[in-house]
Amino acid sequence: MSELFSTYALDRFYDEMFAGPETPRAHYERVYERLAAMSREELAAKQDLADQTFLWRGVTFTVYSDNQGTERIFPFDLIPRIIPAREWDTLERGLTQRMTALNLFLQDIYHEQRIVKEGRIPREMIESSKHFRPEMIGFRPPRDLYVHINGTDMIRDEAGGYFVLEDNLRSPSGVSYVLENRQVLKRVFPNLMASCPVRPVEQYTHDLLNTLMHLAPEHVPEPNVVLLTPGVYNSAYFEHSFLARQMGIEIVEGSDLIVRDDRVFVRTTRGLSPVHVIYRRIDDDFLDPTVFRKDSLLGVPGLVNAYRKGNVALCNPIGTGVADDKATYYYVPEMIRFYLGEEPILPNVETYLSADPKDMTFILENLPKLVVKSVNEAGGYGMLVGPHSTKEQIEEFRAKVIANPRNFVAQPTIGLSTCPAVCEGRIEPRHIDLRPYILNGSSIRIMPGGLTRVALRRGSLVVNSSQGGGSKDTWVLSDDIARTQAQNQAQTDKIIL
Amino acid sequence: MLSRVANLTYWMARYLERAENSARILDVNTQLALESSMGVVNDARLWEPIIFALGDETIFKELYSETSERTVAEFVLFNPKNPNSVLSCINLARENARCIRDQISSDAWEQLNRLYLQMRGKTVADYRQTGTVEFLGRLRKSIQLFYGIAASMFPRNDAWQFYELGRFLERADNSSRLIDVKYFTLLPTVQAVGSTLDALQWGAVLRSCSAFEAFRKSRRGLINAERVLDYLILDEFFPRSIRFSIITAEESVRRITRDSDHHYSNAPSRSLGRLRADLDYLLIGDIVKFGLHEWIDQLQLSIARVHTDIESAFIDYDVERARILG
Repeated sequence: MSELFSTYALDRFYDEMFAGPETPRAHYERVYERLAAMSREELAAKQDLADQTFLWRGVTFTVYSDNQGTERIFPFDLIPRIIPAREWDTLERGLTQRMTALNLFLQDIYHEQRIVKEGRIPREMIESSKHFRPEMIGFRPPRDLYVHINGTDMIRDEAGGYFVLEDNLRSPSGVSYVLENRQVLKRVFPNLMASCPVRPVEQYTHDLLNTLMHLAPEHVPEPNVVLLTPGVYNSAYFEHSFLARQMGIEIVEGSDLIVRDDRVFVRTTRGLSPVHVIYRRIDDDFLDPTVFRKDSLLGVPGLVNAYRKGNVALCNPIGTGVADDKATYYYVPEMIRFYLGEEPILPNVETYLSADPKDMTFILENLPKLVVKSVNEAGGYGMLVGPHSTKEQIEEFRAKVIANPRNFVAQPTIGLSTCPAVCEGRIEPRHIDLRPYILNGSSIRIMPGGLTRVALRRGSLVVNSSQGGGSKDTWVLSDDIARTQAQNQAQTDKIIL
Repeated sequence: MLSRVANLTYWMARYLERAENSARILDVNTQLALESSMGVVNDARLWEPIIFALGDETIFKELYSETSERTVAEFVLFNPKNPNSVLSCINLARENARCIRDQISSDAWEQLNRLYLQMRGKTVADYRQTGTVEFLGRLRKSIQLFYGIAASMFPRNDAWQFYELGRFLERADNSSRLIDVKYFTLLPTVQAVGSTLDALQWGAVLRSCSAFEAFRKSRRGLINAERVLDYLILDEFFPRSIRFSIITAEESVRRITRDSDHHYSNAPSRSLGRLRADLDYLLIGDIVKFGLHEWIDQLQLSIARVHTDIESAFIDYDVERARILG
């Protein structure tokens, strides 16, 4: 056994690389061989090069709580997470199915509301959602598309099965790290990548631009697409500017935009120039102070009216958030059955709604074993991980759940799969998840792979960057035959790492 | 282009140019101090000229009780409370660049980010330990590497023109301050004007502008005040001369406004055109007769006026009366 793997202890969790002790899975063999041949020094040098590269390139995110040098690099782990071709096919079909159903659900909820009328989802579940926008009832967004981008969080349980943990339909972030991770990994492990049939990810920004252009009003031959950001101090600003740069569109702040006669213009050095599509990375609430939050300085007065008149398209549409409420999530399998007449390809994690009296009893009895999540929070905030919490924390959550049942859901603690990660100079298993990015324009397109987040602290199940998580490059192999060929090739001429 | 982006680009260029010039101003003074034959390098009178030339007396006095090599170097290079210190300028340039990362090439951004990382956390102790010449040299090279990348990568669109405009307006102003340092530098006696020491000092001014060799080649002659001033203020071809800077800035404004020859469509083109014409027809004798320092004061005011005109024409114009495009 190589020095680097000498402390690698398999647990009861599903491990991405190893089927058993010292037995790598077939699709991981090449990477395993490479790593096993490495010394600690080499590995440390590679990690240094990767970290330096991120720092120089300024691939950072902003931490609000930290008042000293608020930019940080998102920790990057060198060892790629690999998904074999057949596994990815299933994920892709499942995610497409889910995206289709979610779009039909939104269309229904803002028009006929069949799913409510037929009693498949309780009406109060929808109407009490913080992100439900009654203002949008009866409004048809361009091309009848209600959701254009979804970042679906996926996990694997102890048996290796994939489960959907949640959908992020409003502003799923992180895709810029996927693209940057790939760039950096190419620099750090050029030959290793060349020896595996890894599917490229760069197509994403091209697909995203197409998705946005697809929404433009029909009579405009060359639509002007812009990205609306809350500004340079937003935690995801790096991503906003990265995507704008890759797509060649302008990044704008609310104060750059002006609405006149229900049309949106951007303020340029020559005068006011019309805008047709806005990829907004601002929540509904802050979009237009004349309609939503009056105190918001981020948005554009009059924008909602321009949108309603069809003079400008928004990605995502207003009101999409009702479908990624963590309680609505519970009903997605039901939506798939209702709208598509199919069984879900990708299951949800078992979920209990505290709004449901029967589930509530169960939740209260089993709090120390469950993960309790607040339906509207993200980033690992507002959640209780029962098995890792103190008695006080559990009691505090019990009171919160009882006080506001609609605001919470509970799930069993899932033993997320592990993947090898570089930790203090050695390779050790760490828990991971996966966020693939799904685009919905003239067709549904999914970037091969997505953001693999890794909980770098030993034993931790929380992968969020705000909670000390990092990320990995995600490789989707193009097909297994090609892989075998590459392997045979590699045996004849030894490729240098 | 977006007004906000034009503004950020323009200021990014100004801050970088200012950082480079502050390093040059510190450099020229260090040279002058070494060659002053006044004995003690730490004599306050040797370091006051920088503060006067930069026009920063008030803020300097708020921050320091004594004027010495250490306090002046710290003030000019590192003090974050001095908004014009090299460190402040680099932070601001980088912050602006971060806001417009979608506009500048990745290589240019990476270089500016490296410059920022290179300066981050540095102190006057590092400056002294590395050695002033070496430290300032490295700093200038890092900034110039950015210019080189920008010059070979940026498309020559409006963003480039705003970048050039900021860079050369700032340079015109800063070159005038660099000359002013020599004006404020005391010679041991009145008789020393025109002496070997005086010539040596003007030579140091030329070197700080990286102009010594260019001057010798172009003017073939002796170094004296009038000849050096003629070169640094009025030369048409030297890229750090004031006239060259104003000509370049005017060209950028013409490209932004799409003005043809003898057509001045708005305030910045008019104010810059007037300034450029002045420099075209001036003789160095006129400047000396008027008073060098007084002339420099006026020039700095004219440059400030151009800046105000740029802001109100392209950045902060009245939206209600703005033109609606296509």
